[in-house]
Amino acid sequence: MNLLILVLALCFTSEVYSQSAFQGVVKNSNSGLPIAGVSIENSNTKDAYVSDSQGNFTIQNPTFPIILTFQSIGYKSETKTFHQANSNIEVSLEEENQYLNEVVITGYTTQQRKNISGSIATVQFNEQSQNQADVDALKLLQGKAPGVQISSTSGSPGGGISFLIRGNSSIGGSVEPLYVIDGVFISTHLPVSGGGGNLLSNPIADLNPSDIESISILKDANATAIYGSQGSNGVVVITTKRGRRNSPSRINFHLKEGVSQATNEWAIASGTESGQLLLESWENTAKDNGESLSSYLNRERPTHWNIVFPFSLPNGSPDFTQNNIQNLPTYDRVESLFRSAVSQDYQVSVNGGNEKSNHYIGIGYSNQESIVKPNNFSRFSGRVNYDNQIREKLKVGVSFNLVRTGRENVRNSDNDPTGIIGSAIFPRSFLPIYDENGDYLNHATFNNHLRLIEHLDNSYVTWRNTVNLNGEYTILPSLKFRSSWSYDLSNHNSRSFSDFALSNTGSATASNQINQVFSGEQLLQFVESFNVKHDVDVLLGNTLLINQNQGLNSFGSQYIFDVLREVSSAANTGGGSFRSESRLVSFFGKAGYTYDSKYALEFSFRADGSSRFGKNVQWGYFPALGATWNAHRESFLQNSKQISLLQLRASYGITGNQNGIGNYDALAIWNSNAQAYLDDPSLTPGRLGNPNLTWETTSQSNVGLDLGLFQNRLTFHLDAYYKYTKDGLQAVNVPSRSGYSTAILNYSEISNKGLEFQILATPVQNENWSWTTSFNISANRNKIEKIPQEQTLGATNRGTSILRQGYPVNSFFLYKQLYVDPQTGNAVYDDVDNNGIINYADRQIVGSAEPDFQGGFTQYVTYKNFDLNVFFHFTKGNEVLNMQQYFMVHGGTQNGIGFDKRQLNRWQKPGDITDIPRLTRFNRNPELNNAPANNYLGQVASLSSRYLDDGSFLRLRNVAIGYTLPTQFTRRIGVEKLKATISATNLWTLTSYKGVDPEVSAQSSNQNTAGYDWATIPQPRTIEAIINITF
Amino acid sequence: MKKISLYTLLFLSICLASCEKFLDLKPTNALLSENAIYDAKTSRAVVNAAYSNLKNYYIQYDLVLGLLPGDNIFFGGSQSQNIELDNHAFTVTNSAIVGAYQANYSLINLVNWAISEIPKVEDPQLSVAEKNKLLGEAHFIRALAYFHLVRSWGGVQLQLQPTRDLNSLGDIPRSTALETYNQIFKDLKLAEDYLPNDDASTRNRIQKSVVYGIRAKVNLYAGNYDQVEEDANKVIENPKYKLVTSYSDFFQVPFLSSESVFELSATANNTGVSASPWLPSTGTPRGSYEFRPTQALIDLVNNPEVGGERSTLLGKRGDDYYGKLYHTLNPSLNSIYVLRIADLYLIRAEARILAQNQNISGALTDVNLIRQRAQISPLPESLTADEILDAIHNERRLEFALEGDRWYDLVRTQKAEEVLGVQPNFWLFPIPQVDILGDPSLKNSQNPGY
Repeated sequence: MNLLILVLALCFTSEVYSQSAFQGVVKNSNSGLPIAGVSIENSNTKDAYVSDSQGNFTIQNPTFPIILTFQSIGYKSETKTFHQANSNIEVSLEEENQYLNEVVITGYTTQQRKNISGSIATVQFNEQSQNQADVDALKLLQGKAPGVQISSTSGSPGGGISFLIRGNSSIGGSVEPLYVIDGVFISTHLPVSGGGGNLLSNPIADLNPSDIESISILKDANATAIYGSQGSNGVVVITTKRGRRNSPSRINFHLKEGVSQATNEWAIASGTESGQLLLESWENTAKDNGESLSSYLNRERPTHWNIVFPFSLPNGSPDFTQNNIQNLPTYDRVESLFRSAVSQDYQVSVNGGNEKSNHYIGIGYSNQESIVKPNNFSRFSGRVNYDNQIREKLKVGVSFNLVRTGRENVRNSDNDPTGIIGSAIFPRSFLPIYDENGDYLNHATFNNHLRLIEHLDNSYVTWRNTVNLNGEYTILPSLKFRSSWSYDLSNHNSRSFSDFALSNTGSATASNQINQVFSGEQLLQFVESFNVKHDVDVLLGNTLLINQNQGLNSFGSQYIFDVLREVSSAANTGGGSFRSESRLVSFFGKAGYTYDSKYALEFSFRADGSSRFGKNVQWGYFPALGATWNAHRESFLQNSKQISLLQLRASYGITGNQNGIGNYDALAIWNSNAQAYLDDPSLTPGRLGNPNLTWETTSQSNVGLDLGLFQNRLTFHLDAYYKYTKDGLQAVNVPSRSGYSTAILNYSEISNKGLEFQILATPVQNENWSWTTSFNISANRNKIEKIPQEQTLGATNRGTSILRQGYPVNSFFLYKQLYVDPQTGNAVYDDVDNNGIINYADRQIVGSAEPDFQGGFTQYVTYKNFDLNVFFHFTKGNEVLNMQQYFMVHGGTQNGIGFDKRQLNRWQKPGDITDIPRLTRFNRNPELNNAPANNYLGQVASLSSRYLDDGSFLRLRNVAIGYTLPTQFTRRIGVEKLKATISATNLWTLTSYKGVDPEVSAQSSNQNTAGYDWATIPQPRTIEAIINITF
Repeated sequence: MKKISLYTLLFLSICLASCEKFLDLKPTNALLSENAIYDAKTSRAVVNAAYSNLKNYYIQYDLVLGLLPGDNIFFGGSQSQNIELDNHAFTVTNSAIVGAYQANYSLINLVNWAISEIPKVEDPQLSVAEKNKLLGEAHFIRALAYFHLVRSWGGVQLQLQPTRDLNSLGDIPRSTALETYNQIFKDLKLAEDYLPNDDASTRNRIQKSVVYGIRAKVNLYAGNYDQVEEDANKVIENPKYKLVTSYSDFFQVPFLSSESVFELSATANNTGVSASPWLPSTGTPRGSYEFRPTQALIDLVNNPEVGGERSTLLGKRGDDYYGKLYHTLNPSLNSIYVLRIADLYLIRAEARILAQNQNISGALTDVNLIRQRAQISPLPESLTADEILDAIHNERRLEFALEGDRWYDLVRTQKAEEVLGVQPNFWLFPIPQVDILGDPSLKNSQNPGY
């Protein structure tokens, strides 16, 4: 509340106008309509002003003559001299080639499009992007930037995201881009990490999307080489809102309430169906064994035989002539898993400025329930961005962000039988949830989902404080020195308690981890034009980066009462601490020359010294070169009526990736444990030293073409790139006899090539109607060029993904099921080496999780005060391995697991055509093809392509319709703008995927095992009501 | 402008000079060294680590490899490596098989370090006697690790030097099973020479009797039946070891009963076999009930004429039978029983039948001691040698029902096809695919059948 008063006070102070003011209006020279947001600079005082929504500007206490420069994106700048305060000052600005003058944030600086040879995608964050129900910024980028592949690993709010720019260029290193928020290098340590490679959180969820002005994604080498050994995977530069000078302070309220539901749920076979399937499996097994059903059941007593055959003969032995299948009950666990999840999002912000300073203050609260109980995500955030021209030559600025992100009751890993979803879908559906006393029942290895939902008690709280302080000193008009100091602190606290319902004697953990990133940056920038036609800019800089990670953890077990939930209440307690640090020293420079706005050349260079590298290779050097030709400025096109823009770009450069080398991986170590066997100390060799361990090197060339027609109302943007990474980091398998299983080496090579295409158009723009549309599509082809040896991985050691030379990463490695023999009902697999038996040599690559292409399209239509925004996202050609069906379409071989409804399609009698083979548990002759053992067991062990599905989809990610109350009406009640919006997220999906949701990529903390469906939370469908008010 | 450049240059040069120092970071949780064995403390710690790793090997791998492919236990969980083992579909990527192979070599590398470095240690704190003891333990553990390898994979690569860097691994092709056994006997001989004589109470560290006992067992596997008797006698005749009165006594807290020749003890910090996968998933204490007794085992142990007191191996909760050999939980303090005196009686019995100088009555006495202890009637003297041999094998199945020998016994006695339907091609586990691909010395040397 205090903050609100402060905000209001700030707002009113800047609304005070002086009596002796110089006033005017800025208008479009063509249409005569006023232009809002024009920056106006007073050449005498260097004060800056901005025109309001009606194009009006006011300068207090002017000293005549006054020289004003008017600048606005999309208009030619204009400098005018006024000698006195007339009553009707009107300044007309001429429209200009909009696209090319757009200011783009690049590495360490901002530049105009016309001078940029690199490939940079910029996504503006506006009201439309906030209509989508997602709470984190990265998810809002999905489908909006060509060349960027974003997939969520689950539908839980604040959940994991895999973010790939121009493909996967590393096998063993990280493929995550570098995130820079207002000049601060951001720690990407995960607040919650799951087992089995599951990503349960993403660190950028700490950033409130409402505070974001725009996100620039630097993709090619010329744009990223300035980030050196951190630039290979691309750089995401996030700029937050800052307010503008001399614009009245506005108070914005953004209120959002929503409800989410699952679009699709798991289809589990009923009790009777499960009984039938089990019986059929036993009958077939007995037949394959050459014995009677009763002999088989008597001997083997397969799990739940006594539920299917509960009756006894008079002599007390089981009666195998009558079963109880028709009367088996069905317990629907899936139904009690889901809920209608509510979400709230409240944002208040103030932005504005006076002659010397500008400010943005934003506070926000978001709370989102997961559609699968009982997980919840909440975020409180506060941001203050402030800049002040304290001296004529000295400007200082600050960005301050404090966030509390809370995740309550995060479920276990998806593939964990003790996870909530696993314990709900896997038990056989005829097994009761409670026993006769009303206590939870567990079945097989699975926990009881309601036990977990009702008793789970864990919370992960992150406090994040991101601060940047900077000063800019203008030494000469063309030479500036900038010093910027940043600190990113994230403090992760986690607590969990398992009460007596969850564990036998109770257990608790509590931990605290601090990640700190300090960076200091000194920049010298020279920008000058000579003789009108020659533009030169030079940048020199140096940064120091320290990344520290330390923490404490404690755990307790053996509780007397489970109402006492602290670690200290336990009989047995323990704890530990850890610390780790890395440092990076860098020197860099950049030079650009533009001739007559036609030809531009850029060169950049960076040298990085890293504490992670081996001592033989501590310094890395990363150069890049780029050229641009603005062909539309040539005489032969200058007068073209149609072509308003024709730009050709080319760049080449070398970048590095050091993300993925552990902080001390180059050093040989021995590990010691103070209490090993019989509580005496132990000492074991931990790692062999590698003094040559170093960054991965990626060279990338990029060519681009931008074409604009009809005053750029229709523009086409095409980029083609080729990336080649060598010295790729990989945990290479070494011979087991060495005593080690893997060693991290710089060895592998990998290439990515691709095309990115984008169309932006404004087909209609008049007084009542406007229609803007954008479409983007990109395709990336990934290929492993060199690898020490094949490596299989994924699906918890099932080796279903393979790294093989000549194929993309994330290729699925399975036995290819050709068909189910209609006569025998047995699966027939592709016998690759034609030797008549099925063994490991017959496993082959049968698809890949890499999409052929992916993209999105947006339509934004306004009619008078109505607006409609429609956004589709699509991906095509990627395969998904459905592990949920792998487990639940098991032919009766999984002793404790029920059946997915897909199992009902099994082969039953000669002539049946299906892809689900005959049920059997027979296991002899595991190597024969078209034999019962290999249906679900045998050498194939169900690692069959029948569980591999096409994961292509087209999804209506967001549709929102809004109405803005007429300004003349709202102004009367003191409101500048009042808008109501109804928004729907994930309303409709087109897919042939057989599982619940094609948009899954669990286990993607490892970039080489994407495309697995472990029964994660599906993407929810969310309906929201949104109100925006501006005072 | 000039001034600024000067300052910048100055700043850069200051930084460059201090850069090296700035970038030199060291971890705080590990020893930074190529070789960390240099004094008494580190010598003891490296051998103690071998004990610790040996115990982990038994807990994590030996039990599943020995039990799941056999017919006493089936797997009720969902991990596919265990389902594969249960169904005799041994794949080259099976994580239990791969992990067991790697764990043995990791253990071998560890003791190779001890064997190579401890003799060089000059420390007044480390007496010659202690040095010898440590070396004896290291040689014994290396022999045991190669024994695990040879009975699971056949002849393997004999790696006898510590790995100092990957480039010096050299070309070592697979040895034959005979060569591997010879290496094991060589190490056991060295262990015998280095190790001190038994004291009266130690059962969880290696002493001379442990070497004799294991050598008897290895000789049985290697088919050297004539060499079993002498070693077995040395242990059996040692008054330190005798059968406990009641079968279930050997697995009761505080363990280390007179039955035990060598067991690996657990502490709260260095825990033992968990009871969790054995315990039913309903009731208290709750487990995950993954390792479940087969109906055949339930019938056998509960038959008073066959199982006798060994019915105490299984408990019953509701309709569910479960294994009780590993019963402590939170913390798991259950020992691993590497060698029991009961094993030596049955080993000697089997060898007495198979030796050139057959000793049928001696064999019968041995096996009847075990039957008597289990409170079942002794075998009649009228049995033929082959019948006694079968009886010994059946006795082994029950006596060690929940210890990791069943599969290996079936393979050793060539009964895996008859009893389990597994063809001889699959009696050895496959060499891991990662090694076939990653080790040029293993080219074309996969076991047949894979």
